[in-house]
Amino acid sequence: MFKLIIKLAWNNAFLRLSRTLLVIIMIAVSMSMMLSIQGIYDGMTVNMIDKTKRSDCGELSIYNPKYRIDKVMNNDIKDADVIKVSLQERADVTAVVTRFSVEGLSATARKSTFANIIGIDLDAEKSFGQFEQFLKEGELKLGKRGTLIGSELAKSLKVHVGSKVIFSTQDRQGDINAIALKVKGIVQTSNITLDASVLYIDRSRLNAFLGVDNTVATQIAIRSASPTLQASLQKQYPNLEVKTLLELYPMLQQMKDMMKIFNSITFFIVMLVVFIGILGVMYVSILDRIREFGIMRAVGMEYRHIRLQIFLEALFVGVVGYAIGAFLGFISLVYLHQVGLNLSDFSDGLASFGMDTVIYAHIELSYFSNTFFAIITASLLSVVLPLQKIKRLNPIEVIKAET
Amino acid sequence: MKKLLLFILVLSTLLRADEAQDIMKKVDNNMRGQNVYMQITMRITSMGHTRTMKMKTWAQGTKKSFVKTIYPPKDKGITFLSLDNQMWQYVPKIERTIKIPTSMMLQNWMGSDFTNDDMVKQSSIVDDYDPRILKREGSVVTIELTPKEDAAVVWGKIVTNIDTTTYTSNKDLFYDEDGEVVRTFFYSEVKQFGKYYTPTHWKVQPVDKPNNSTEIILEDVKYDTKISEQYFRKSALKRFSR
Amino acid sequence: MFSLALKNILFYKGRSITTFVLTFVSTLLFILYVALMDGSHGSMLQNALKVYTGSIEIYKKGYRDIGGNEYFITDVAKVEKVLDKIDGVEKYTSRYETYGLLSSSENSAAAMVVGINPEKEIGMSELSSTLVEGTYLSRDSGNCLYAGVDLVKKLRAKIGDEVSFVGGASDNSFAADLFKLCGTFKTGSFEFDASASFITRSYFDELMYAQNKASYITLKLTDLDEVDTINKEIETKIDSSLESVSWKVLMHAMVEAMQVDSIFGYISLVLFFVVIFFVIMIFGFINVSSRVREFGTLRCIGLSRGKIRLLLFYEILILSTAAIILATPLGAYIAYYYSIHPFVIEGMSETYKQYGVVSDQVPLSFDLFTISWNVILIYLLNFLSVIYPIMYINSFRPIEATHHV
Repeated sequence: MFKLIIKLAWNNAFLRLSRTLLVIIMIAVSMSMMLSIQGIYDGMTVNMIDKTKRSDCGELSIYNPKYRIDKVMNNDIKDADVIKVSLQERADVTAVVTRFSVEGLSATARKSTFANIIGIDLDAEKSFGQFEQFLKEGELKLGKRGTLIGSELAKSLKVHVGSKVIFSTQDRQGDINAIALKVKGIVQTSNITLDASVLYIDRSRLNAFLGVDNTVATQIAIRSASPTLQASLQKQYPNLEVKTLLELYPMLQQMKDMMKIFNSITFFIVMLVVFIGILGVMYVSILDRIREFGIMRAVGMEYRHIRLQIFLEALFVGVVGYAIGAFLGFISLVYLHQVGLNLSDFSDGLASFGMDTVIYAHIELSYFSNTFFAIITASLLSVVLPLQKIKRLNPIEVIKAET
Repeated sequence: MKKLLLFILVLSTLLRADEAQDIMKKVDNNMRGQNVYMQITMRITSMGHTRTMKMKTWAQGTKKSFVKTIYPPKDKGITFLSLDNQMWQYVPKIERTIKIPTSMMLQNWMGSDFTNDDMVKQSSIVDDYDPRILKREGSVVTIELTPKEDAAVVWGKIVTNIDTTTYTSNKDLFYDEDGEVVRTFFYSEVKQFGKYYTPTHWKVQPVDKPNNSTEIILEDVKYDTKISEQYFRKSALKRFSR
Repeated sequence: MFSLALKNILFYKGRSITTFVLTFVSTLLFILYVALMDGSHGSMLQNALKVYTGSIEIYKKGYRDIGGNEYFITDVAKVEKVLDKIDGVEKYTSRYETYGLLSSSENSAAAMVVGINPEKEIGMSELSSTLVEGTYLSRDSGNCLYAGVDLVKKLRAKIGDEVSFVGGASDNSFAADLFKLCGTFKTGSFEFDASASFITRSYFDELMYAQNKASYITLKLTDLDEVDTINKEIETKIDSSLESVSWKVLMHAMVEAMQVDSIFGYISLVLFFVVIFFVIMIFGFINVSSRVREFGTLRCIGLSRGKIRLLLFYEILILSTAAIILATPLGAYIAYYYSIHPFVIEGMSETYKQYGVVSDQVPLSFDLFTISWNVILIYLLNFLSVIYPIMYINSFRPIEATHHV
């Protein structure tokens, strides 16, 4: 029996080929466009959040509570090395870095400007956040006098790889001290503040320069997937501040929320219109064949079998449309994921928001699964009304009726 | 034979390098002696007009110096103290002693073409650079000073013309890293004070602003006198302001 | 033909209603969405400008790149005389910016100290309205300093404290004075609040020898849309050593950001339209395909293909026009109403302060030109949607059509 029903459904679905094709094309095109747009929007936010995590604060960061207000050397974290080791021993922590950062003046023969020197452990940064991906020019080496300079700072000082930069600041004793650095590479983190002010140097070199040692740090950044880590760390170190990425950068949270709302609205509206499209086609298709259904009823076919057939018809159309749409959407997303959307014409505007000029799409399974459910639901719902009509059919009258 | 030639060549290079160091040490010595007191007139030309300032300076070795402004009247009494690597300023008008932070260090000193850094870090010529003789013309030796690896100086190199009769420079060219001249120092009117020689007329000319210049005229110079330690304490700032 | 079309519409209610509703909704949506986008960009711009940057600013050439006392405007009065005669310039004021060291008894910080004309600044910038504590300045406030909250925090100073200033005067000579902290402001832009402070020119000019000099002159226009024409006019009338720059150059980054935002907005709209286009076409197609016999009959009695095309065209024309006639005034009215009474999103200004958004209002932009091209686009979409159905129906031969099932 069911084989028959399936066969009937399949044949009927494609009876009026052009009509059905139109619906399928509609579903496929709308779906693939929508998926691409979603991917790009999410890609933008994910990208920004990811870059910030990797270049700056990880998922969590620990600071001296006075530090964020007054970024002076004295507001540092004592026993940072001990804390670091204890963090590394935790199972829920994937990576930890300690950084020491000081504000001062960077100068060349012709220009001087404000800068921030950050002593880092390059290898640790590489495992922390794939630091090597931030390198724009030059090489990723620090050595004794090497520095990695932020891209905007490099522009403002008009230096290039190989240039000399003098950095001066007050050391622990309050003495003004200067250090000669050679630019080994230029980095671009897309973190606006960093790119405009940072000079990365080797931590041990910074220690020697400032008269500090590895027991102190101005920031301890942590990569971890655990949602409970913040609470437990805050309890463990009540005198320090433990903050999440989103607390440190509230703007990112808003961006995330906005994107979510936007994508949901888009999804809803598109699915609604798709539903109307399927509805129209199915409605007419069923009404066209009302005599046919009347005959089937007269011949003894049960209502529920007819209902099943009609559901299957709708489903076939929906599923085929979905399949093509998913395929096209997938190709488009993969392309956008690899190659990205090039917006270099707007680089200044994007840079002011800390975004890259090329935007890569984000791909998530939920794009495809959500759309699948939506289309299935739309297909099934669309035949409810016509089904009612069939239910109330009086077979004899239908056969008699005019076409 | 070849070995001998080689030996002589190496020796002469070494000697020359040593000679260059020697020359620079003598020049540096001339500039500061054990200690030096000077009364200076500074003429700053910028934006079409010239300002004049007069100051008295006391300098001990390379780490301590004290400056008192005596002219013009509105700036009279402003004092500067540089001790080790820190710099303070006292302004009588507002009766405040201010510590000059890093960010101001590379700003121009009182609007002249000297930087605060110039005023504080005068020791660098010998310690921070490797000298090399470029050529000789009569008694004038042209020496190229290249910053040492770790030296925290912004210049790419400095080329100085030393008159070996007096061990004073008559012209210094300051280059940036890309080999372009950024500023020129002209020295003239060398006078002798005891066993020291020093040019008494200096002029600094920035290359990108040819209409600007700063001139320094040394009016009264006294080397190796007894300078009281009191000049090099923070209390000096206010005390000697009057 | 036309009356036949009308009759058909009334007869095939399902298709007519759906097409009508879809067109109505898409027109309304389009008008309002574009109005919202333009309105929010416009207000972002106004807000950003209000904070500190003017719609047009006049500089001596070289100041923006190099800066410093050498590049001050040296005869402000002369420029102001020129500005007085230009229509469209609502207000202007000059600012004298210098950098120096501010010290409290606790700490010192490098800061920008700006000599302003306090009364003129009201209505030109948000300085007076972003007051947090103490008082704003007036012409006679003397050595009162009005500083950003984060700068004050750095200095660890409070209202009434003495703050010393050390810097260079306009002739590069040494300048020092004591100021009194009279008020603090918070614009929300951390960089600004941590480094900017203001003092009245009537006092500052004496200290700086800055009478009749300025770093730049900032202008407010009566109509922001006229900025390019007015800017050109100013350029021709001022000295050649000066340049007149509009916000489009000054806030270059913001302009691009807005363009990016628009692009994304339009991309989303395109998606909607694609879907709607398809649906209208589908309904049109269905309608037409169920009338094949009818058309066959018409063809048999002598109607040409061209006439059929016309008939279908009329049908869609009537439907779209009906929908558009209802949707457009409604959309336009809503846009107009909300452009005058912007709707308020509480807390938005707190959230987006760093982008220069200082108010919670979101106005819609009401522009007839924009609305017109929106409408034309919808018409176009509808006409396009009927092409395939027309082609389909005309592909039948008359007799064959009458036998169609």
